[in-house]
Amino acid sequence: MESVVTQNVFHHVAWGTTISVYFWLVGASAGSFVISSFGWVFGIKRYKPLALTASAMAIILLLLVPILLIWDLGKPVRFIYLLLPGYWHATGPMSWGSVLIMTYPMAMIVYSWFVIRNDQKWARIVGIVSIVLALSTHWYTGVVMELNPGRFLNHTALAPLLFLTGAFISGIGALIVVLWIRDMFVRPEKRIQWSLIQEMAQYMMYGIVFDAFLLFLEFMQAVYGSENLVMAHEEVLMGVFRFSYLWLETVIGLVIPFAILVSPLKKFKAAVILASLLVAVGVYGMRIWWVMGGQYLQTFY
Amino acid sequence: MREPIDPHAGDKPRRSYGLQTPGTKGVAGTKRYAMVIDLRKCIGCMSCVIACKAEYGVPMGVWRTWVKVADKGKYPNTRRVFMPRLCNHCDYPVCVRNCPTQATFKHEDGFVLQRYNRCIGCRTCIVACPYNARHLIPMKRKDMRLPTMVADKCTFCFHRVKKGLVPACVQACVGGARIFGDMNDPESEVAKLAARETLTVLKPELGTSPSVSYIGGDWEVMSETHSYTNRSAQLRREFNTFKRNHKGDAFGDIVEGEPTMRQVAQNMVGFVRTIPHKAKDVLKAFGIFIFG
Repeated sequence: MESVVTQNVFHHVAWGTTISVYFWLVGASAGSFVISSFGWVFGIKRYKPLALTASAMAIILLLLVPILLIWDLGKPVRFIYLLLPGYWHATGPMSWGSVLIMTYPMAMIVYSWFVIRNDQKWARIVGIVSIVLALSTHWYTGVVMELNPGRFLNHTALAPLLFLTGAFISGIGALIVVLWIRDMFVRPEKRIQWSLIQEMAQYMMYGIVFDAFLLFLEFMQAVYGSENLVMAHEEVLMGVFRFSYLWLETVIGLVIPFAILVSPLKKFKAAVILASLLVAVGVYGMRIWWVMGGQYLQTFY
Repeated sequence: MREPIDPHAGDKPRRSYGLQTPGTKGVAGTKRYAMVIDLRKCIGCMSCVIACKAEYGVPMGVWRTWVKVADKGKYPNTRRVFMPRLCNHCDYPVCVRNCPTQATFKHEDGFVLQRYNRCIGCRTCIVACPYNARHLIPMKRKDMRLPTMVADKCTFCFHRVKKGLVPACVQACVGGARIFGDMNDPESEVAKLAARETLTVLKPELGTSPSVSYIGGDWEVMSETHSYTNRSAQLRREFNTFKRNHKGDAFGDIVEGEPTMRQVAQNMVGFVRTIPHKAKDVLKAFGIFIFG
């Protein structure tokens, strides 16, 4: 029987662009910090020269987060409630996140301090704590949207893994671009070796493959899923958010960089930097459809 | 003979999180205020929507209760279906569980209530609610002494019920379609209706155990995807116009058929423009803190 909705009210998307930018910033910060820890925590000595640049980038990206998050609140002054014992709510995912977002930059700053002082022992200890906090902070961004059973597109156990993989590749991508810019301003002997950049690009390529695999799993779940999921995939992801889902994330962020990194083009610096830039931008496409697309369908309900 | 796994199964609340009092559905000695909406009696007059707006001064663009309207069939065999909506006052509310500042809680009599003074306007509860029952009060409203930029929702007219009255929407309902009472009291009208009629709830699969149930609900109109896919062309245009002109205070709305990235950039600009307005609040708070 034909059935047409003729009157309804419209509900706004509650978490918008600001939150999607925040998710990208936290991801790139965590990914960058993972690279920073290679030298001092995991003992891969050739990564030590870029540790400070990577952790500085991670800190700067994360310092932008409170600006976005606090001003995004309806009552910015009350952000302090998130940390007061009388207000803190143990079952709320955002409560966990507020603790992580507070402690993670502090741990990174202390880690960087020990790196500057060339203190291997303490840099390693604090680095381990920081890396756990980095991963947890980005795990939380996946979880905070996952733990809403009503938002079926986000309600998947793959969410934190998708976020962490996206963080890893976008962090490396952004870091390669930053290192390229940095190298323009430093003396030739201080520049990062090209072989190291190539190695990082190789890690990024593995990340791209894993990210594409996770995305494929999500795709399978959506197209073989419930009516809601099938509809969300057809109407939202391939409809309204087609650009961010199909073009920005999949083609620009995964397919083109992968093609560059497996082809002979990877020998050219410009091509690797382009691939890194595309990955970093492409991951933002995922953040857009994940945050706003996940809530989109329900705004009409 | 095999013993039942839990001899009290059915009498005992299933689980409770944080500030939720345990679910009181069918638990002796407790109250569970509930609403039954008899859709056979609803005539779509919107009295309930107006009564609610008047009772609380609900600002423009947001609703505590609303009525969805759908036309079914083809001329001459057509039927108009109404679907009043409001907070479901779930026994196991996701919004309460996810709130980071204990701003929302489950009252022992079944109400899910909001504490404005604790709310930071993070909108977690709005994202968590599967029924779209929550909204952010806009930055500007008619009476600026009332709360702004915090989450709000239907309270089942807690203040009226405590005085022995029924909620404003129930009082205003001309067809008597909205029936309110204690579902745990076998003598109440809602309990009698529940015993006699077939009741349906929205999204039962989520396990929230809603306190709002419907008689004669149309499965299509109750479905979430139907509201999106079966919109009339006019409603589609109206929503797009609404989104284009009123991006809300969260800046996440995307107008169909227009470039996504341009809108994302516009949303970011919109967000930046709200900062000076919010900064006034911050300065005021610091002023109070420093100068008393």
